[in-house]
Amino acid sequence: MKRLRSSLLIAPSAALIFLFIVLPYITVLVMSFRAPAEGQPYGEGFSLEGYTHFFNESYYAMSLPQTMFLGLLTTLVCLVLAYPVALHIAFASKRWRGFLYGIVLSPLLVGIVVRSYGWTILLGNSGVINSTLRNMGLIQKPLPLMYNDFGVVLALAHVFLPFMVLPLLSALQAMDPAITQAARSLGASRFTIFRRVTFPVSMPGVQSGCILVFVLAISSYVTPALVGGMRVKTTTLLVVDALIDQFQWPFGSAMALILAVSAGIVVLIFARLTRMKWT
Amino acid sequence: MRLATPLLTFIRVSVYVFLLAPIVIVVLASLNAGNFLTFPPQGLSLRWFWTFLQNDVFIDAIIYSAVLALCATAVSLVIGTMAALYFVRHATREAEVVRVGMLLPLILPEILTAIALLFFFYEIGIGTEHQIALFTGHVLMTLPFVFLNVTTSLQGRDESVELAARTLGASRYTAFRRVTLPLIAPGLATGGIFAFIISFDTFGISFILKGAGSAPLPIQLYDYLRFNFTPEAAAVSTVSILLTLVLVTVSDLVFGRE
Repeated sequence: MKRLRSSLLIAPSAALIFLFIVLPYITVLVMSFRAPAEGQPYGEGFSLEGYTHFFNESYYAMSLPQTMFLGLLTTLVCLVLAYPVALHIAFASKRWRGFLYGIVLSPLLVGIVVRSYGWTILLGNSGVINSTLRNMGLIQKPLPLMYNDFGVVLALAHVFLPFMVLPLLSALQAMDPAITQAARSLGASRFTIFRRVTFPVSMPGVQSGCILVFVLAISSYVTPALVGGMRVKTTTLLVVDALIDQFQWPFGSAMALILAVSAGIVVLIFARLTRMKWT
Repeated sequence: MRLATPLLTFIRVSVYVFLLAPIVIVVLASLNAGNFLTFPPQGLSLRWFWTFLQNDVFIDAIIYSAVLALCATAVSLVIGTMAALYFVRHATREAEVVRVGMLLPLILPEILTAIALLFFFYEIGIGTEHQIALFTGHVLMTLPFVFLNVTTSLQGRDESVELAARTLGASRYTAFRRVTLPLIAPGLATGGIFAFIISFDTFGISFILKGAGSAPLPIQLYDYLRFNFTPEAAAVSTVSILLTLVLVTVSDLVFGRE
């Protein structure tokens, strides 16, 4: 009786997640095996055409390594930028910590469209950076900062940087300061302490931050669309194009699942390389 | 070593600038008096805010987004708090399943969830009509944030105060309303603010599931940006940034920091 009453608390959320997450994802899986049709989203019967079409057309197939490359590069840039900041905040005085924390979190409060738009203002051919350089007489032609991999990676790194800082920070803050003091009193240099003590201790944060940023980066739509100006073709852009503009539901679903499985494989390889414990 | 410290400081300061630069630049661009987003700006003016105020498309979109976010937040607050209560107070062996399940909308790629919902609603014959799919998507996106915040604030509380109230004769409902609820109010407030902001800013779900007619602000802004380069978009963005800022500041003043 008591058990029954308490399970009423979880019932609405459980129903919501089951009906609108679990069942819809199964629908995508089934959809990817349906037969394509002209003039309607999908036809009668089942086929593998969605999958074969992807690998036979190099326009689509090549988007996959391109997307993985952008995702990995974004993750690397985020890690390199986030680490010094996380270290700084973790060991800052209490008064400063709140302020710096605010700076790191503030981009999250601004919509992804607005943030991507900010980058187009900065990086465009007549944008802030190019105009400034031209007015200073340093360049004649605008530098190609946007509509290419560079701009997309830079903007993606900005959008997802907080997701790297936060896990790093929680890993670093859980560290006992006595360990570094011990290493120091035993004569280790600061670089040695970082390499042998701090970095290994923060490894769980590095792992979860990297996985989070990678998955978010390869599945993002707005940033590559606005900053890449449809000239950088990621698989996610092609998925939305196939589903919404071309109305090819089986093909779009197959493409989305191929991307999800590839992302899963990359994450697994990464976890194996960094020897993550799966418990 | 002597060289390393200034270098590290330089890197840190650059990262903080990098984080804030695109946001600051949007606000500055909205004050540009010129017809296009040129730099340096052709004088300062508020004319683009005036243009924006007279543009029904954007005003409608802001109102639409605010109403949608309020409704989604209300639903998420109720069922998310119930789930958090269950997770902290009653869940035993199934606790991990509950936690992962509640966080699924956050873990799964938003655009994929949106596509999955689109198919699902078409299969059951509703499609994107009546904004049911869009609303469901927004509730899903906001639910993890309510759950996380309320869970955190429940975990910091001692269950014995509630038990004391029950021993003193309070009904289950009274004990919850008079004891538990005031204790977790800061968590509810933070969760609610988060949920509102997430719903107000989310893109993927709205982009795929929006029906015919009015659309949320991020979608209208995105559509506008694809073909227009006037500072009006910057004015709209600035207003959206200010709304968020006001919301966060007010809640911070009222409920204090956790």
